[in-house]
Amino acid sequence: MDLQSLILNLQRYWADCGCLIQQPVDLEVGAGTMSPETFLRVLGPEPYRVAYVQPSRRPADARYGENPFRLGRHLQLQVIIKPSPADIQGLYLESLRVLGIDPAVHDIRFEEDNWESPTLGAWGVGWQVLLDGMEITQFTYFQQAGGVDLVPIAAELTYGLERIAMFLQRKDSIYDIEWGGGVAYGAVRGEDEREASVYGFEVADVAMLRRHFEDWEREAQRCLEHEPPLVIPALEATLKTSHLFNLMDARGAVSVTERVGLIARVRRNAVASARAFLGQRERLGFPLAGAWGA
Amino acid sequence: MATFVLELRCEEIPAAALPGARRQLAELFAAKLAEAGFGELPVSALSTSRRLAVVVRDLPPAQPDRREELTGPPVKVAVAADGGPTPAGEGFARKVGLPFSELQRVVSAKGEYLAATVVHRGRPTAAILAGLVPQVVAELRFPKLMRWGGGEHLFVRPVHGVVALLGDEVVPLELFGLASGRATVGHRVHAPEPFELAAADSYAEALAERAVVADPGLRRERLEELAGSLAAAAGARVHPDPELVAEHLELVEWPGLIAGRFAERFLELPPEVVITTLRHHQKCLVLEGAAGELVPGFIAVIDRRDDPEGLIRQGNEWVIGARLADAAFFVAEDRKRPLAELVPGLERLEFHRVLGSLAAKAERVGELAVTIAGLVGAAVDRDILRSAARLAKADLRTHMVGEFPELQGVIGGHYLRLEGASRELWTALRDHYTPVGFDGAVPESELGRLLGLADRLDTVAGLFAVGERPSGSKDPFALRRAAQGAVKIVAAAGWELDLGAAVAAAAHQVAEHAAEGAEGLGAALTEFIAERVRRWLTDVVGVAGDTADAVMAAGWADLPGAVARAEALERARGSASFRSLALAFKRVRNITEGQPEAAVDAALFAHAEERELAEATEAFGRRLAALLPERRVAESFAAMEPLADILERFFVAVLVMCEDGRVRSNRIALLKNLGRRFMQLADLSRLQVEGGEL
Repeated sequence: MDLQSLILNLQRYWADCGCLIQQPVDLEVGAGTMSPETFLRVLGPEPYRVAYVQPSRRPADARYGENPFRLGRHLQLQVIIKPSPADIQGLYLESLRVLGIDPAVHDIRFEEDNWESPTLGAWGVGWQVLLDGMEITQFTYFQQAGGVDLVPIAAELTYGLERIAMFLQRKDSIYDIEWGGGVAYGAVRGEDEREASVYGFEVADVAMLRRHFEDWEREAQRCLEHEPPLVIPALEATLKTSHLFNLMDARGAVSVTERVGLIARVRRNAVASARAFLGQRERLGFPLAGAWGA
Repeated sequence: MATFVLELRCEEIPAAALPGARRQLAELFAAKLAEAGFGELPVSALSTSRRLAVVVRDLPPAQPDRREELTGPPVKVAVAADGGPTPAGEGFARKVGLPFSELQRVVSAKGEYLAATVVHRGRPTAAILAGLVPQVVAELRFPKLMRWGGGEHLFVRPVHGVVALLGDEVVPLELFGLASGRATVGHRVHAPEPFELAAADSYAEALAERAVVADPGLRRERLEELAGSLAAAAGARVHPDPELVAEHLELVEWPGLIAGRFAERFLELPPEVVITTLRHHQKCLVLEGAAGELVPGFIAVIDRRDDPEGLIRQGNEWVIGARLADAAFFVAEDRKRPLAELVPGLERLEFHRVLGSLAAKAERVGELAVTIAGLVGAAVDRDILRSAARLAKADLRTHMVGEFPELQGVIGGHYLRLEGASRELWTALRDHYTPVGFDGAVPESELGRLLGLADRLDTVAGLFAVGERPSGSKDPFALRRAAQGAVKIVAAAGWELDLGAAVAAAAHQVAEHAAEGAEGLGAALTEFIAERVRRWLTDVVGVAGDTADAVMAAGWADLPGAVARAEALERARGSASFRSLALAFKRVRNITEGQPEAAVDAALFAHAEERELAEATEAFGRRLAALLPERRVAESFAAMEPLADILERFFVAVLVMCEDGRVRSNRIALLKNLGRRFMQLADLSRLQVEGGEL
């Protein structure tokens, strides 16, 4: 199954399960979790159901397009269902069928793998899902986000799309997987990966990145100090600082000690944005409280 | 007699949590049933990845009756003159629920009293269990708990079903918002349909019919048996891996196995890389040939009976091939430049915020290794030592160690070997992180041992200097393990090393960071290392704690010497003369404690026993002077033995604390003299011997 069919089939499936099909957040983020569609929507009493593809940037993981298994920017398909339904594992296993995976002839395992994001003040409990020894999904019950204990609990499913495509197509290189219509992934994205590596490892201007980190950090704080706080602008500014940090890190410009301090600064604003979001929803009277028949 | 079964059906429970959960379930049920008067019953805890269960056999239909003897008011108060009850008598009869006429009388020292035997009827077992089960479940402890759905409940993983059956009856109770019943499910693939359990007795059998092996012991047997036969079929054997098997049996409901292969070309990778990929990343059992060499195959554990279309084997082979290819890619990347080119970049890698970069650490390790080489008179080139210390940390900058941090050292050694370095050098890099604690081999080459010892002493000294000392269960930098590794290297190297001097040299290099200065740091380190040495003596050499204390009180900086003395004393201490020596030596220590050293004047001897002891002491001293330089320790201890009788005679005949000050001082000096000689071997007063204080 080609990459785009994988995406279309999963989106169709989760839409049929009641999920809103969202579009990726239009900022550079390291994971689908950082999108407000996850990071903010898992907070508070309102239900939520959403699925979206999120291009996820990890500058330090880039390998000049030479390593057949590594990308600096990969695609995640993220599903959030809050509260987590009792049959969420069953819903998930059913989703594999639309990828052409019949659980009856495979070995599908849920092995403990808890998730934690110090940058987001978030953690969850769950598994990595293994298909015949291959990790295909991260399955997490969110317990805390932005330092806030969560009730109700959201289930998060993160499908690693290129990996799944590679596995299903039995390709030895990400760049050989079929995107769609007979076009290979490498033909579409190979050069991006090379350029992103050159930029991230060799060219990025560290002094400029630092300056922007400071600027966007201040901007996030200004949005948070606004009355009432501007939640999405504050989180977006915070996400920018997170990406700037990742770029500096890839460039080898962050010492181990400094690292802890910078992460703490990103977290401070992420946590404040989360709290501001809770205040905003309460002020609005939790408008989604009755959605999805809750 | 009936069987009870409780099953909590969950989403996949972490493997690491299950052994503890079973132990707690069995213990809590046994304890609470005993508390309820059921006595000791056969309780067994079962589990799979998706269920926790407990089975109790031989339960009676009801809790055993309990008889209680109650004493009431005195007869003279409770019984009226006519033999009928007074209000007090009526009150007691009401309280015990018996007619007044059935009350008994007991006589005690204080007089005659009304009494009654009350029989508390046991409640039905089902009712007891209905109350007891929620208590047990609430008391279960897990490493990490979670909430799900609406967030009302807290457990290790979401719970989806509760079975509680006593015989063939449901024990009604509620857990996690679920009413108990008799319905459960079998294996997710092979028997997913819900079914009803007829009776508690047939729990395990009913599950086995549905591809679930509830007993972890049976799963282990099946796994090991299958692994052996699959390996044999592949013409290999399974590299023994009890830890991995123990994990696997918790990860499944039905343990199946498949054998797979990977491309021969991956055998060119360092075997450690292949093993780490297979074992740690893919949780596969590793196969080996007759000589213990890797073969291009593996065994994967699957949670099902079969691989009907061969897709599972293909998938696992693909993943392992991909992971090995990934490793091979990184090896090729790393090898584009010699390892030495990575040394300068160590300045950018931090070892510790205060202690500086890895480059700085490598310099310290090099200098310390040179000092130690001097102390032990090692025939190793000083410049090679210094450059080996720098090279040893270079692999921390390779892609491979980035991917496989647990292979630090191994990777550097492998690359250096491929670059054509001497065996002495590449094995030194490979080995310098082993042994880990007391486990594992000591580095093969002298260079490796010097490097390994210097690296560890520097780490311990440095982190002690900046205040990162282990306390209680907290040892984030694994300094105890590092110090143990150092002790093992010294003990095994056969060096005549003054460990105290080596520790002092390590402390000196980092003393600028220590708040208490070089001396205070040295003292803290010495105490820390001494504790590891004691552990080496008790845990590895295998001597008693007080033997170790006695020997270490006489010095331990010469570790091989201390080991030899400990072994000799451990053998010698069983004899009667040693018991007597230990007691006598306690007395010698008590008398001479705090007294100044002085020359013994034979002219002041008043008893033959004094002269005898003086001569024996001299002879013993001469003997030690001859034996100890040759480390003939057993003979040295043997030379002590004749002194047992001589001392005993001395203490019978001679009063040390006599009136005449000069004679008294002379006798003290004589004993002091003897004590000093004994202390070349051990402080026997630390031995705990029967008979205690004299």
